[in-house]
Amino acid sequence: MTAALGRIWAVALNAFREATRNSVLWGVMVGVIGVGAVAVVVGALSLTQQARVVRDFGVAGISLFGSLTAIYIGVTLLHTEVQKRTIYAIVSKPIARWEFVVGKYLGMALVLTVLVALFTAMMALLLRSQDVALSDAVAKAIVLGWLEVLTVAAIAVFFSSFSTPFLSGMFTLAMWMIGRVTPDLRMSVASTNSTWIKAVARGALAVVPDVHLYSVSGRTVDGVPVSVNADFVDWGYVSTAALHGGLWIAALLLLACLIFRKRDFV
Amino acid sequence: MSVISVDNLAKTYVTPFRRRRVPALRGVSFAVERGEVFGFLGPNGAGKTTTIRCLMGLCAITSGQASILGQPVPSRAARQRLGFLPEHPYFYDYLTVAELLDLGGRLFGLDASTRRQRVERLIDRVGLSRGRTLPLKKYSKGMLQRAGLAMALINEPELIVLDEPMSGLDPVGRKEIRDLILEQRDAGTTVFFSSHILSDVESMCDRVSICVGGKICDIGKPRELVDQTTRDVALRLGLADDAPAEAVAAISARGTGARRTAGELTVIVTGDVDDALAFARAHGARVLAVTPRHETLEDLFLRRVMAAGGGAGAEVAQ
Repeated sequence: MTAALGRIWAVALNAFREATRNSVLWGVMVGVIGVGAVAVVVGALSLTQQARVVRDFGVAGISLFGSLTAIYIGVTLLHTEVQKRTIYAIVSKPIARWEFVVGKYLGMALVLTVLVALFTAMMALLLRSQDVALSDAVAKAIVLGWLEVLTVAAIAVFFSSFSTPFLSGMFTLAMWMIGRVTPDLRMSVASTNSTWIKAVARGALAVVPDVHLYSVSGRTVDGVPVSVNADFVDWGYVSTAALHGGLWIAALLLLACLIFRKRDFV
Repeated sequence: MSVISVDNLAKTYVTPFRRRRVPALRGVSFAVERGEVFGFLGPNGAGKTTTIRCLMGLCAITSGQASILGQPVPSRAARQRLGFLPEHPYFYDYLTVAELLDLGGRLFGLDASTRRQRVERLIDRVGLSRGRTLPLKKYSKGMLQRAGLAMALINEPELIVLDEPMSGLDPVGRKEIRDLILEQRDAGTTVFFSSHILSDVESMCDRVSICVGGKICDIGKPRELVDQTTRDVALRLGLADDAPAEAVAAISARGTGARRTAGELTVIVTGDVDDALAFARAHGARVLAVTPRHETLEDLFLRRVMAAGGGAGAEVAQ
């Protein structure tokens, strides 16, 4: 088992290294700083609501930038290895294919975690400049945002195990967007009389991870309005969401591993 | 026990969507013994790379059996003890050669100090010390090939499998790779490599097999495979540049394929050599060399390819 962990770590480290040498990701970092600057400007315009703006921008930024970055890296993660034939030199070593898939995902998760950490650091700095501390609610929102990003990454890796980057990107984007409107889908199932709309909505709810669970600020949870600026969900909710996300990630990676195991590399 | 044993191996690719079946291997069988350099010959599209991909676990075998180092393919235990250089090695081009070899070492479970030592030694051995700080994307084809060979040796393997190791290299690059292969053989490593550069195969291999159209046509020692009976004799004659044209024409007419170069005339004689030599001397020629010629590996190779209906992609067309 230790040997397997060593191989997974080797692949993860290499995936992380690949990302750090990718100029597009440095562009994302510049985007993170840009979001901070916009938050400062909008905060200044709002006069007394600077801290609120920083929190809202920060939490939304993690979700948006993190998920888009997860899609960008994830959709090419396995496909490019096969297309560029770099995988020949790896899977001909004593590594199982599932170890390779898990290692690639973990390397990508590491990159995304660093991205979320940078967002958090920027948010903390901006809040500190307003003499406001990083609250418990913000911490929970960041953890939820991080879970969303990791789940989106797993969706992208799943599609990347058998599809082209373009199609994988489209599928992942679609699943992410559908996952964000699951309450509306449930509502349409309850309210519509159309059998086929019910069937489509039920089908979507069954196969799409409920990403909405991670983005609750400004919405209603169990009939109670929650906001990162006021009353927020408790840690119990975050734990349940983490379990939900963990199961989805495990299931998606398992499917990716099964597909990848059967592939001929030609 | 053979280091590589392949028995009636078949591989059929199925195209996506249309589900068309394309046979690439049609019952390949051969065995590679410990310590030998085994050349796997064939034209483009013959099935050499597919065979190697099946052996390395990159492709699933459709039918038949194969084992490496006593382990049935695909086997991680066998891969632990072998080194592999893919055709046109594609590596992570953002890595330096040291990072690439370190990655390889980690995948073999080598500890940090062993990795460090071997990385340094191999970079030095394959002559990449000067390019060690460059990312692989800045490497020439020859440098990439050497980096790939170093990666194949990071685990000090018992068997190295090289897919077209000399392909696309200049003569200097080919010599370097050839020397490295022979060095490995001298160290007791079994070497299995595919190629269509026959001179390299002939000079290095203990045994060869010729694969055409997804099947093995011949297998054995190069000298045993070719017909050793003298086919004709090449006469190299010294003949002054101002020798009469009639004399040159008359000597040339005694054989075939006459070739005139500065001060020399080469004629291929299939009939009576003594008679041809006496005739040449009588016309003022000096005998520089008399070389009996027999079938070469190249002749055999071309014969097999032509018999199978052509060169590249012969098996796909069938």
